[in-house]
Amino acid sequence: MPGPKRILIVDDEQDIRTYLSTLFGDEGYETSEARDGGEALQQIQAAPPDLITLDISMPEKSGIRFYREIRIDERWKHIPIVVVTGVSEDMKTFISSRHQVPAPEGFVSKPIDREEIVDVVRSLLK
Amino acid sequence: MADNPYKHYFEMMPAYLTILDRDLRIVEANQRFRQDFGDYEGKCCYQINQHRSERCENCPAERTFRDGQSHGNEEKFTNSLGNEAFSLVYTTPIANDAGQITHVMRMATDITEIKLLQNQIRDSRERYRQLFEEVPCYISIQDPNLRIVEANRRLREDFAGLPGDKCYRAYMHRAEPCVPCVAKQTFGDGQVHQSEEVMTSSRGDQVNVLVYTAPVRDAQGQIKHIIEMGTDITQIRQLQSQLTSLGLIISSISHGIKGLLTSLDGGVYLVNTGLAKNDRARFEQGWKMVERNITRVRRMVLDLLYYAKDRVPELETIPAQAVAEEVCEVMRGKAVEIGIGFRWEIDKNTGNLDADSKAIRSLLVNLVENAIDACRVDKKKAAHLVRIGLKGYPDHIEFEVEDNGIGMDEEIRERAFSLFFSSKRGSGTGLGLFISNKIAQAHGGEIKIESELNKGTRMIVKLPRKPPASVTEAPKV
Repeated sequence: MPGPKRILIVDDEQDIRTYLSTLFGDEGYETSEARDGGEALQQIQAAPPDLITLDISMPEKSGIRFYREIRIDERWKHIPIVVVTGVSEDMKTFISSRHQVPAPEGFVSKPIDREEIVDVVRSLLK
Repeated sequence: MADNPYKHYFEMMPAYLTILDRDLRIVEANQRFRQDFGDYEGKCCYQINQHRSERCENCPAERTFRDGQSHGNEEKFTNSLGNEAFSLVYTTPIANDAGQITHVMRMATDITEIKLLQNQIRDSRERYRQLFEEVPCYISIQDPNLRIVEANRRLREDFAGLPGDKCYRAYMHRAEPCVPCVAKQTFGDGQVHQSEEVMTSSRGDQVNVLVYTAPVRDAQGQIKHIIEMGTDITQIRQLQSQLTSLGLIISSISHGIKGLLTSLDGGVYLVNTGLAKNDRARFEQGWKMVERNITRVRRMVLDLLYYAKDRVPELETIPAQAVAEEVCEVMRGKAVEIGIGFRWEIDKNTGNLDADSKAIRSLLVNLVENAIDACRVDKKKAAHLVRIGLKGYPDHIEFEVEDNGIGMDEEIRERAFSLFFSSKRGSGTGLGLFISNKIAQAHGGEIKIESELNKGTRMIVKLPRKPPASVTEAPKV
């Protein structure tokens, strides 16, 4: 029997990582955390998750750069990504149009609606 | 005269022609004169023309009798309608066979209308000159070499060397003409051209100017000069910049608030589920999240209030040591709570400075909070320390905040004071250092950053004991 699905939470804000980690944990998922795109890439290489939640505005390696790298890498492009950001929803179009990569599988605006993010994650991890 | 073959022309001349004897009595007059002045028999010219009983001073007829030469002058007279009019008078001698001057022919041309036109032209010219001089914008006339041959008062006041200098030297302090040059374009095609330029006044101020150039043609239609009109739009550009800043700040605030609300919601979730599950650790973790984010909201609001007010410092004489110690006392608890060492070295003889105490306190708190945050997020060192220093010098004080946190690379250092720039992993609004720097500048001071990535940062705030009047008098735009 397969173990619980694992979600990688990428956000530069510790409190938001703790929040999402606890919320997804309560829903029965395993979680791991990364503070920026660089840390997230290291974690994916070590143990690829089943889903990634991704903030956009982060120092060092931004969410957009990270998104593009994942989407063009054959090894990781299948991992669904849910963008969780306070930046406008236009970002969804921007991310895909600018780099000619597919749009993210999910998009949740901050402040997040708990039920909405759980529903999005649950449907992607079915 | 009756047999004179020129009699006909004498009669028909469109001027007042009279023949005067030595007593200046009119012995003959042409048709025009008779029409307008009526009976002249036995009367002298000055009686009819000037309604005088005495001869006129400087009478040209008298002079002609005296020297045999033609003379002329301008005279006022009263016309047939009783109105004052002007005439141009010429007198010519008439001699007998012996060569003696027996009469003088007096020809008077009515120049009243010409005189009126001349006056109108003079008035218009004066009005245009006044408009040119006093209009609240820059006006110049330039020749094809772009030399300013005329400059109005406003232009002369704001830019040195006018008229005479070339426009690009006077306005831009350039050695070569601008590219493109609207004046040259107008010389080339005779059309009106427009551009926006940033000029440097003789006081060294940057002036945004909307420039129009139009051709000035001579009687042959040739463009010998152009007129350049410039409107100072510096205040409009500053307002635009402020509106842009306002737009950016609203966007930044909106983004910051969204993050804060998410973190607060997270804290509430952990508190609620901690209570429901009777999980004390989760409850406490959630409660700390709530507290931390309420503090962030408060800081953000205070920063915004300071930014929104954009005020001139309210100066009072304050003891630098007491202000620094007060800030250290407050901030020490915050550092120690999260395991960061906190030390301060404050010179007891720092003395006083004239400053806005609230603003300076806000500046110091911002810097110390930044230092604590830089340590908090640094996972590469086992121990962290924030050190505060205060030293007094004869004319200024120096406040230092040093940490061994994450440090900054060159790019972050250069952008550290920019509005909305934050390197604080999402918890910053990009306002703190911007406002701190603004406060320092509003006091005539400055903030220096010495920092190295992964090693730490030292911020040095230099504040004059008495801010120069130039920074405290004028309201900030």
